[in-house]
Amino acid sequence: MLKVENLHAGYGLSEVLQGTTLEVPEGKVVALIGANGAGKTTTMRAISGMIKPTKGSVTLGGKAIEGYATSRIARLGLAHSPEGRKVFGPLSVEDNLLLGAYNHLPMFFGFRSKAAVELGKVYELFPRLKERRTQSAGTLSGGEQQMLAIGRALMAKPKVILLDEPSMGLAPVIVLEVFNIIRRLKEAGITLLLVEQFAKSALEVSDYAYVMEHGRIAIAGTPAELHKDERVLAAYLG
Amino acid sequence: MVVSGALMGLVYALIAYGFQLTFATSKSINFGQGELVMLSAFFSLSLLDWGMPYWLMIPGGLLFGVALGLVVERTCVRLALEQKSEGWILMTIIFGLLGFSSAENIWGRDDRPFPTSLPTDALQVFGVNITPLEISVAIGVFTVMGLIELFKRKTLLGKAFEAVSADRDAAELMGVSATRTIMLSYGLSGLVAAMAGILISPITTVGPTMASALILKAFSVAVVAGLDSGFGVVLVGIVLGALESLTSFYLGSGWREAPGLVLLILALAIRPNGVFGKATIRKV
Ligand SMILES: Nc1ncnc2c1ncn2[C@@H]1O[C@H](COP(=O)(O)OP(=O)(O)OP(=O)(O)O)[C@@H](O)[C@H]1O
Ligand SMILES: [Mg+2]
Repeated sequence: MLKVENLHAGYGLSEVLQGTTLEVPEGKVVALIGANGAGKTTTMRAISGMIKPTKGSVTLGGKAIEGYATSRIARLGLAHSPEGRKVFGPLSVEDNLLLGAYNHLPMFFGFRSKAAVELGKVYELFPRLKERRTQSAGTLSGGEQQMLAIGRALMAKPKVILLDEPSMGLAPVIVLEVFNIIRRLKEAGITLLLVEQFAKSALEVSDYAYVMEHGRIAIAGTPAELHKDERVLAAYLG
Repeated sequence: MVVSGALMGLVYALIAYGFQLTFATSKSINFGQGELVMLSAFFSLSLLDWGMPYWLMIPGGLLFGVALGLVVERTCVRLALEQKSEGWILMTIIFGLLGFSSAENIWGRDDRPFPTSLPTDALQVFGVNITPLEISVAIGVFTVMGLIELFKRKTLLGKAFEAVSADRDAAELMGVSATRTIMLSYGLSGLVAAMAGILISPITTVGPTMASALILKAFSVAVVAGLDSGFGVVLVGIVLGALESLTSFYLGSGWREAPGLVLLILALAIRPNGVFGKATIRKV
């Protein structure tokens, strides 16, 4: 579904990604792990067009999308839930969710009724968000904001979701909850690329995993294979 | 008299609101906004000269304002923003200067009266003398601002507008094109400027110099009220307008410009973010 080949990208003169290659097959959860500064976030940003790749290709459902504007890539079915969540703080929880479905909804009126089914599904997955639907997103707790960021990505009915460190800065109980949600998304057949610091938990929920080091994929394999790899064991699962 | 001053202040508020619209989406403002007001007013006057009926002139003038706003965005702002430069400041100032000299060449240097179809006799409202013209200013300002606020809150496009001002990158990730939203904000800001011109011209007159006088006051209002509070600009606009009429009554009309300047200097010294503005906190 999502294919990244020999991707190069960076900030200004510093090249962070030096030929990243990875693939996310339809209906699978793929984990991308690695040390701080390895380039995981940069990979996601280059895929969603937040930074322009200097070389290499990105294809979504067979269509080359590298170099496209971020909003266009989003319209083509890629939902990127960025590092730090980036919910729209001044807007209500429900408005945040509606904006998630921006591509499918009428611009002026009647968008609320058109979004009702999708909104219902997200509220079913996250009852807390329903309770707080009129509250402004900025006043939510970190965990709730993360749920909102995931819900907002789901509203787009995307082909692929990129989820960048959903557990960042959350209390251990909430982290568990986040991973439960990811498991439910997986059961629902959502195609997902997951970046995580909690390598162990990430491997538990994923079908395949990539380990990134200094802007390159160093190791790749199924979770079972990675569990047998000594380098992975020492550096990430110790 | 204070009431008429306050109503004039609403026009300053409306122009300042135009600053807020574009600042929200792009963190840029059009320093030639005063010229937009003036050019739209002249254009509307020409529409009347060409025999267009009064009530058709208003949408005509507003459309012209929208078009000018879009031109400013395309020619002065977009490239600068793409380069992440502050070039829009100089470019919009240059646009203003061009607008000024074009107006002098097309319509001449003299102030011209702007006709009105409203009766000019003052009415007594709650014991205050007020002309229908002044009432039309209040109605016009609140209608335009109200409709734009409704648009922002009740339509999905309006929410996208707010999303871009809250977090441009995240909005792009939702499929909202920031570039288009910025265009829209400049179009709306041009509309607001044209409305201000059409509302104020029958009270004052139309002339190339109206631009600089108005922009100074709108700027004071925007600085005092901050660039994110629509309620703030209305309040500050009213206060400034009232102060102006008081000073010109007690100290002579030469002092009319004083309150705006004093307010501006005070605000810059005390509250650089505006009395009603939330301080913009840069997130790490
Ligand atoms: N906006 C930026 N400008 C310049 N350099 C940046 C920027 N963002 C990241 N970098 C650099 O790019 C490299 C990779 O960063 P990236 O954020 O992709 O790492 P990461 O794998 O996501 O790390 P973490 O686990 O800490 O989130 C780092 O060396 C970082 O300093
Ligand atoms: Mg990161």
